Formats: sequence, C-alpha cells, structure tokens
Amino acid sequence: MRWVDFKDSVKRFWSDYKHQKSGMLGIISLLFLIVIALAAPIITNPNVPQEWQPGGTAWLVNPKNAPPVWENYFTHESMASAVQFKPGQYHVVKSSKDGYNVYTITVDYNMNYQLPPVDIVLLNLKSNASLPKDNPVVKVQIIRPPEKGVKNNTLLLIDGVQFPSGSQIQIAGLQNTLNYLLYWLYENGVLKLNMPPQMVNPNSMQFLIMTNPQASKLVAALSADRRMQIVFGRITDNAGNPRSFNDVVNNPEPLKGNYKVRITITAPKEVNVDFSDFKIAIVGRAYGLLGTDQYGRPIALGLLWGTRVALAIGLAVSIASVLIGIFIGVASAYLGGWADEAIQRFTEFMMTLPVLPMLILLSLYLGGRIDLTQLVIILVIFGWMGTTKVARSMALQIKEQTYIEAARALGASTGRVIFKHIVPQLLPYAFASIALSVPGAILSEAGLSFLGLTSQNMITWGQMLNAANQNGATMNGYWWQIIPPGLAIAFVGLVFVLIGVSLDTVLNPRLKRS
Amino acid sequence: MGMSFGRYVVYRTVNAIIILFLAVLLMSALFTKLADEQLTGQVQDQIQAFAQSYAKTHHQEPTKELLEKQRAIYMHDYGLDKPYWRRAWDYTVNTFTFRWGKSIPRVFGTRDVREQIWTALLRTILLFTTAEILVILIGIALGVKSAQQPGSILDRTISILAMLTTSLPMWWLGMLMILFFVVYLGWLPITLYSQVFTANTKQLLEKMSLPVLTIVINLFGGWAWTTRNIMIGTMQEDFIMVARAKGVPERKVIYGHALKAAAPPIITMVIFGLIGSLSGAIITEIVFNWPGMGRLYWQALQADAVKTMMALNYMFAILTVFSMVLADILYAYLDPRVRIGAAARS
Repeated sequence: MRWVDFKDSVKRFWSDYKHQKSGMLGIISLLFLIVIALAAPIITNPNVPQEWQPGGTAWLVNPKNAPPVWENYFTHESMASAVQFKPGQYHVVKSSKDGYNVYTITVDYNMNYQLPPVDIVLLNLKSNASLPKDNPVVKVQIIRPPEKGVKNNTLLLIDGVQFPSGSQIQIAGLQNTLNYLLYWLYENGVLKLNMPPQMVNPNSMQFLIMTNPQASKLVAALSADRRMQIVFGRITDNAGNPRSFNDVVNNPEPLKGNYKVRITITAPKEVNVDFSDFKIAIVGRAYGLLGTDQYGRPIALGLLWGTRVALAIGLAVSIASVLIGIFIGVASAYLGGWADEAIQRFTEFMMTLPVLPMLILLSLYLGGRIDLTQLVIILVIFGWMGTTKVARSMALQIKEQTYIEAARALGASTGRVIFKHIVPQLLPYAFASIALSVPGAILSEAGLSFLGLTSQNMITWGQMLNAANQNGATMNGYWWQIIPPGLAIAFVGLVFVLIGVSLDTVLNPRLKRS
Repeated sequence: MGMSFGRYVVYRTVNAIIILFLAVLLMSALFTKLADEQLTGQVQDQIQAFAQSYAKTHHQEPTKELLEKQRAIYMHDYGLDKPYWRRAWDYTVNTFTFRWGKSIPRVFGTRDVREQIWTALLRTILLFTTAEILVILIGIALGVKSAQQPGSILDRTISILAMLTTSLPMWWLGMLMILFFVVYLGWLPITLYSQVFTANTKQLLEKMSLPVLTIVINLFGGWAWTTRNIMIGTMQEDFIMVARAKGVPERKVIYGHALKAAAPPIITMVIFGLIGSLSGAIITEIVFNWPGMGRLYWQALQADAVKTMMALNYMFAILTVFSMVLADILYAYLDPRVRIGAAARS
C-alpha cells in the first residue's frame, strides 16, 4: 500500500466515522480517559501507588469510611468536613522561659455542623533531640465558644505529651485527653463524684471513676469519636444548668460556633524545632469529592489512578489477543491441511476451558497474587480464540481470490502473501474487535481483583471493590465505596463498546444496511 | 461429503470427550503442584505427631532413621513417592471418572467432594436457571418487538441498554441491588444477604428475588439486541418479501415465517444460556451469599480445599464443552447445511 493511498483511506474512514454520533462520543471520552491516566501523577503526586497499600500511614489524618462532603446537602445531620492547617496557614509565636523555648500556635475552627470532627491529629514536627527527655512536649487547649452556665471555656486536651521527631499525635484516643475531659466535666458540674474537691485532679480521674459504677460504665462507652462529640458539644441546657453526665455521653448536642485550638510546644533551648512540615489536621466525618474507604484512602484518588491500570490492561490485552488471534487464524486458513486441523483443534480446546476458573487456578499456581504483566499474559492466552475463528473464515474467502493466486504465481513467499495481502484486509475487522474486547479484559481484571487474587501493588477499580466488600460496604450503606469504582468500570467498557460498534458500522459495509 | 445426523452426533461427542480429557489433564498438571504443597505439609504434621506419641510411649526421642522410615510410609500413602507426571496422570484419571475423593477441610458441612458439588449444583440450578429462563423470555419478546420497528424509540432504548449492561459487572450490579433494596429501602432483611443459609422456603424465595432481578437486568439487553439483529437479518430475506407480497398478515409474517427461520441461532443461544447458567456466576453468588457452585468455589479457595476446586473446575469444563456440543448438534439438526460444512472441515 502506498503512503498516498493510506492517507486517502484514513481520510475517507474519518469522514465516515465523523457521522457516527456515538462513535464520536466514544472517541472524546477515550481522549478524556487517556488525559486523566497520563495526568494522574502530575495532578496528585507520584507516590500514591506506594502509599495506597493498606496499613500505610499516609492516610492517617483522613477520616475512615467518610462519605463525600456534598452528602451534607442531602441530610439533616451535617457532618464536619476535614480541615488541615499546613505551614503558612498558621502563625508560630516563639518565646522563651527558664532555658526552654515555647512555641504557640492558635488556629480557628468554625464548628457549624450537627456532627463534629472525630479527632485532632498533629504530625510531622521535626526536632533534633537526641535523648527522649529532650523531645519537645505538647499541650493542646481548645477555647470553646461561650456557653451559658459554663465557668471554664478553655478545655485542656493534652498536656506534657512527648512529641518525638516525625511522629504523630492522635489526640482523641489518648488516655491523657480522657482524663482532662472528665476533669473538665467534673469542674463544670456535669460529672458528679462523691469526693472532697481537694482529692479530685486530672491524674486521679481514672481511679475515681472506678469507684462509681454508673459513671464507669458511661466512660467505658466513650470511644474516641464520642469524646470529640463532648469536646464540641453542649454541656449545659438552655437555662444554663449542667446537663446530666448520661445525657452528655449518650445524647451529644453540638455546640456550634468559633473554636480556637491552641497548641503549645515546649523544647529545651539547645533542641532545634522545625515547623516546616508541621500539620494540624482536624479530622472530619466527611471527606472530599467521593469520601474515603476503611483505611482513610480517598476514593476519588483511587478512581483517578485506577484509570491507568484499566486502560493499560484493556488495551494491552485486546491488542495483543486480537493480533495473535488474526495471525493464527490467517496462518490456519492459509496453511490448510493438517496444520489447519491441528490449529483448529487447539483453538477449540482453548475455547472449552472455562475462563474464570482457569484464571483462578493459574493465579494459585503462580503463588496466590498475580501482577500486572502476568495478568496481561494470562488474559491474552485465554482471549485470542474468538478472533482466530472469525479471521480464519475471512481468510479462507480472501485466499480464493484471483490476486492472491497472481501473487503466488509471481513467486511471492508465504509470509509476503499473508502479511502483504491477507492481513491488511482483516485490519478493519481487527480494529473493531480490539475495541469490543477491551471491556471483557477490564471485567476479568475486576473480577480477579474482587476475589483478591491480583497483586496489591497497583491501584485498580476491582481492588477498590474488593476492599469495599471486605469492609462490608454494602451492608453498612457506604455507597461511595461501591458506586464510583463500578461506574468507572462500566464507563470505560461503554466507551470502547461505542467506539467498537461505530468502527464496525463504518469499516464493515455489510452491516451498514440497518 | 455429507454425514448422516447420527454419525455427526457420535463424531462431535467423541471429539468433545477427547477435548474434555485434555482439559482435565492440563488442570491436573497445574493442580498437582498445589496438592503437593498441601500434602507435604500434611506429612510434616503427621511426622511431628508421630514423634510426640513415640516419645510418650517409649520415653525416648525417635531416631533419625525411624523418622525417615515413617516419612517414607506417609509419602507412600499419599503417593508422593511417585513422579510428578505419574501423579498428575492418576489425578486426571480419577477426576475424569468422577472419583473425586475427600477434601481436607470441611466445605458445605462435608468432606465428600461429590456431595459438596451436588448440593451446590442444585442450588445454582434453582437460582440461575430460573433467572435465565426469565431473561430468555423477556429478551426474545423485546428483541422481536424492536426488530419490527428498527429505529423506533423501543429499538434505540434496547440498543443503548444492551451496550450499557454488557459493560457492567454483574456482581457489581448485585452490590448495588443490596445497597438499594436492602440497606436504603429496607424491603428485605439485611440478614438475608449477610449470611449464607436460609431457614425456610419463603426466605429462600425472598433471598432469590434480588439475584434473579440482577441477572435479568444484566442480561436481557444483550439477548434482546442479538435477537433483534438476527430477526432484522431474516426479515430482509426474499421469502419474507414474498410472504408480504402474497398478503400474509404482518403478525403471521413475523411469528410464523421470520421467527421460524431465525430459530436455529436463537435456540443455540438458549442452549448456551441455560447450560452456561449452571456454572453460575462465581462472584455474583459470593456477593449474594448464595450457597451454589460459585460460593462453593469461593469457600474452597479460602479453605485451600484443592480437591473441591479441581472437581468444580472439571464441572465447569464439562458444562462448557457439552453446551458447545449440544448447540452444534442442535444446529446441525435444524440446519442440515452445517453438517456438510462441518464434515468437510473436520
């Protein structure tokens, strides 16, 4: 084929294809997907695949199983969204006292939700302390909005907690926090103890609670999340009288308004404290565009990165299996005789193997979890037969045409006849069937990943659904963990079906009639 | 080069059995490696148990030679002293002749693999065959209807639905169904799908309802679309023109002439669908906790029940091979031209 002819036929094809509305929709969507796949490391960050492994610390500051932020528009119970204060978003005030440097940071948080945040996390403070006793120590206070009947608006959450370099402090879960919180409730008359006041202090709270069976039961039920509901909740009624301890614990009511979180870090003068990466995360209940999974990983991020694997697997598998299928089919038709017979029997043999069970078996054989390359190879091994059957029957017709005879009479080699004369005629069919076989490959990957048989070193939509299933997402109603990955699979599938059907209509004229 | 129908049937069946045997051979070769790992572990455990009981009764540790002798006995018991290919061959023959033996872990309440599969198969038939019949009825009815008016709203809706649903994983649709009908609407109790077993027939039917709905939604579009394409092809044939020209009423043209002519491929599809439905959809059964073949496969996978998995693979292979053969034979019966072609080719 000459270059001019090729250009001409491409032009003709394109002018036909342009009129296929669904085909154009498919092409535009495919371009969109490719852009997303290529841009994923740029718009997010290239470390995401490493950080994605369950058990990593990258998502510590994210709420677990949090719905998307916009769900608030549809529910009565508005949920606090996540806020992070990064360097530059807060101001560090430095002072010194008795051989120590004292750094104070105060940030504002407007708590305007029915359900308050679940935790406050401090992370990435760096220091060069060589001995544990030189580590900076942290104190966190919350200055609550004024509430009628409450004497002390300032609530101490932690005090004197060591902050080793590079570690995190998750405040809500600490015993220290619970003690201070209970003491504050006692001070304000919510928690009643039959003790002389001089005996009650934050450090003795645990012991004192044990002497009161009812209170100790309530305290045992105070999960980290519940504690924060008290921190951000009302402790007096409308008249300004303290609510009962039982009510405060079991029927938390939010106290909306402006809160100040004050963090005081004290370190010996000779220790260098570095705030360049220090973050204060107020962990909300809702997260981002599509919420999070049970490890706190953002669903939207997974969706974005999953595009890469989906496109890679879909295209690699379908291109390879269609090309192999065509080659084997043409060879079978052209060679004829016993070679044809052997190839056909083998094709039928491969067709009769049940695909998913065979995939499961092979993944077990390969040691439990199969990686991307193995997956592509296996899917190709089980994917070429359909094409071979069709290619063979098409090649049988082409073979009989006079120009092939002519070429052979002129001394063309077998290879030349196959590649120069027969295969090009099958290309239109190949393009359409490549596009049409992409969804199958993606569905197979999703199925295997759902069964937990693929390597976890990649982010795929099937694995996201696997995580959702392990998390009981359906039964818990975590729709954001189920719907988006499935829709993404369906969308990619649909894009290729649209393209495939349109290619078929344009390239295979015999289908044009309807 | 024609072949009588009887000979064709025999020919295809023998062919299928050979293919099936080769498939089992391949699977056995793969599975023998897995079974080996498991059995070697088993031998190790038994040797340890032996050493402990020996120490108790004889008040001294067994000698190395004694342990090796004992190991050889165990190895022989499990056939591990035979070469790999010999074991793979034995495994092939045993599997092929339905001598499936006992699985090491208990699955579905029993170690007998035949019993496990029989229980599962019946439940899968109940669910998937019911659904498949519904799919076929709805699919063919809609396909014929839309072939009558190509380009109509119904026709276009079906084409779009077919494209959409073929790109959807059935099991994902299942998850959505549970989310919507069970969790949000609360029409069915959550325990129905969070556990495997059901108490009575009423509950069983309730439990079936969602998976059946899922399968129907997932598959009817494709069926309707294929039927439509076959019908449109037939409607352009000359004999339909003639019938119309003769003044045969349109209804009769469609249901009498066209549908009859389109029957062979449609019946082939029905066979494929019905038998294919027996292998169930492994993941869909897992999603709905339906204790059929798929769920059994899953449990076997989790429990490392190698023999159960092998038997299931064999069952799936049988179903696939024989639906193909049955479809071929039926096709040959309905359309004798096929036999001549097939004979010439094969």
